[in-house]
Amino acid sequence: MISGSPNWLVRNKFLVAPLLLVVAGCTAGNGEGLDAGGRPIAGPPLVNSDFQEIQDTIFTPICTTCHVGANAPRGLRLDAANSYAMLVNVASVEVPGTLRVNPGNPDASYIVQKIEGTAAQGVRMPANGPPYLTQDRIDLVRRWIAAGAPMAAQPGNILQVTSSVPAVAETAPAGTMKLTLVFNADVDPARVSDNSLELRDANDDLVPIAGASVPEGRANVVEITLARPLPAGSFQLTVRGDGPAPLASMAGHVLDGDGDGAAGGDRLIPFEVAGGAAR
Amino acid sequence: MTMRTHFIRLGAAALLLALSATSRAEPYLAAQMGLKCGQCHVNPTGGGMRTLFGNTFAQTQLAAKRIGSDEDLWTGQVMKFLSVGGNARANWDFADVPHQSSTNEFAVEEARAYLDFGVIPNRLSVYIDQRFAPGNATNMEANVRYWVAENTLYIKAGRMYLPFGYRFEDDNAFVRQLSGINMQAPDEGVEIGLEKGPWTAQLAVSNGTAGAPEIDKGKQVVARAEFVQSAWRVGASAAFNDTDAGNRRTAGVFGAYRAGPVVLLGEVDYISDDSIGVGGRKLAATLAEADWKMAQGHNLKLTYEWFEPDRDVDEDEQTRSSLVYEWAPIQFLQLRAGVRVYDGIPQNDLQNRKQVFVQLHGFF
Repeated sequence: MISGSPNWLVRNKFLVAPLLLVVAGCTAGNGEGLDAGGRPIAGPPLVNSDFQEIQDTIFTPICTTCHVGANAPRGLRLDAANSYAMLVNVASVEVPGTLRVNPGNPDASYIVQKIEGTAAQGVRMPANGPPYLTQDRIDLVRRWIAAGAPMAAQPGNILQVTSSVPAVAETAPAGTMKLTLVFNADVDPARVSDNSLELRDANDDLVPIAGASVPEGRANVVEITLARPLPAGSFQLTVRGDGPAPLASMAGHVLDGDGDGAAGGDRLIPFEVAGGAAR
Repeated sequence: MTMRTHFIRLGAAALLLALSATSRAEPYLAAQMGLKCGQCHVNPTGGGMRTLFGNTFAQTQLAAKRIGSDEDLWTGQVMKFLSVGGNARANWDFADVPHQSSTNEFAVEEARAYLDFGVIPNRLSVYIDQRFAPGNATNMEANVRYWVAENTLYIKAGRMYLPFGYRFEDDNAFVRQLSGINMQAPDEGVEIGLEKGPWTAQLAVSNGTAGAPEIDKGKQVVARAEFVQSAWRVGASAAFNDTDAGNRRTAGVFGAYRAGPVVLLGEVDYISDDSIGVGGRKLAATLAEADWKMAQGHNLKLTYEWFEPDRDVDEDEQTRSSLVYEWAPIQFLQLRAGVRVYDGIPQNDLQNRKQVFVQLHGFF
């Protein structure tokens, strides 16, 4: 025992007692209202695709323990807003001659080498393993890359929202004046109008939209400009897949807003706007 | 006087000198001895190659017993201007994840070699930390260090581990993962340090890319200061990383207290990162550690960690508890065995895993 442990504890009670209290107060969460990634559950899954499954079962719950934010290791951020753009056709930092994801070629993709432990550099991922990814998760990544590493479900006979800014249930900065929608396919600009998009506040009052358009060179994106900065509070953006003016792709496929794999249904994106001065 | 005898006397003198003055070392060992990290490591913020004192300490104080004769005292200095060092860790790991089959494996956690070219003794050094496993050789640190003002001030430039909080051996500790500043993620920049009396302080400016190439004009500024006394120490760290994706602010406090054979050690870090999500995210992590020196060469380490991934989301917190026994039977050899229990949200199996490990650690 610690050289006369009762005496030791008595002598150091003023230090040990507060430490025990702090430790007792710092417990794990019960996960209520959260998904497996620890994020609030809100709305249906955005897209039923291999990539979304990789994001939901690997990147968000496992990798973003480290690979998130401005200090993400090797600059690789794997949160939902950044993962695809930072992986597909992007050179690895550790082995610059190898792409992180080489569409169509899993063996030549650095991410596969890292999760299988065959990479030329560094530790096997996840770095806090073992355990490492199970074989079915590795197979999922391989299958996605072998299929060409598409962002969205194949075949492209439906139009779906793959991400948004702000994302579902996220808190946007005070003074937000722009909302962004990203789709799995090119959007028909002629179908983008006030009738296909609707923003309401917590009182269910309409919030005026100054304009919505498909930016040049980003045909799968819709940018929404608001008439005035959003005040603090709760809002919900509705992207129409039903009604007289649903959004549709350039191929004429109407939005699958409810994620059931068939055209139709509105996509609902609730979000918050933080209080305080605009940044 | 032979060269060996000279080294032995030099080592003994360094040990006596260090024990009689404020010095530096690795977190719990440093707190146990009342030393600064840089007493045992050529890097003033700890980790990596050991100093003459560090090597002497490892042979005469850390191990349960020393084998070999005094003539065999290892100093690290293989030539007049060149010192070498290294670490190798071989593991057996067992992992039990809910709803999955348990796994176990042997693995080389890491093998590293250090070179320190003291081209102008006690003044100018060129330092290299090269990792040889796992994977191919990777440079982790390569920098030039120049001391001035009677070894109270230094400037260091090149690739380095940044100064933030305590440099724990366990890079998977929540506080090290959260800060993103650990021994897996060197950065390139410049560091200025002060080592005076009970103070050790550093200020560094780096790319802020955690080892990736610089992609914007923003830089990261990191500051760390610690006040070291023989029985206690307290410090604070702060970092600001300016990136196009969003700014990241990190702050932490840390400290240790020695009570007889037990060292209590803690760190609390808080981060606000604008680059995560839309409105940014605020995160926090803590670590509380108790190290009990049961006898010379025997240490029992108990840690409890807490991680808050998003201050705006309730019930998403995680904890990690570890019990690790460390036995150094002879000099430069350490056997570590431990169990780590993770506790997180029930819908994430990995956050509720258990790990057991046995590690053979050779170092010099």
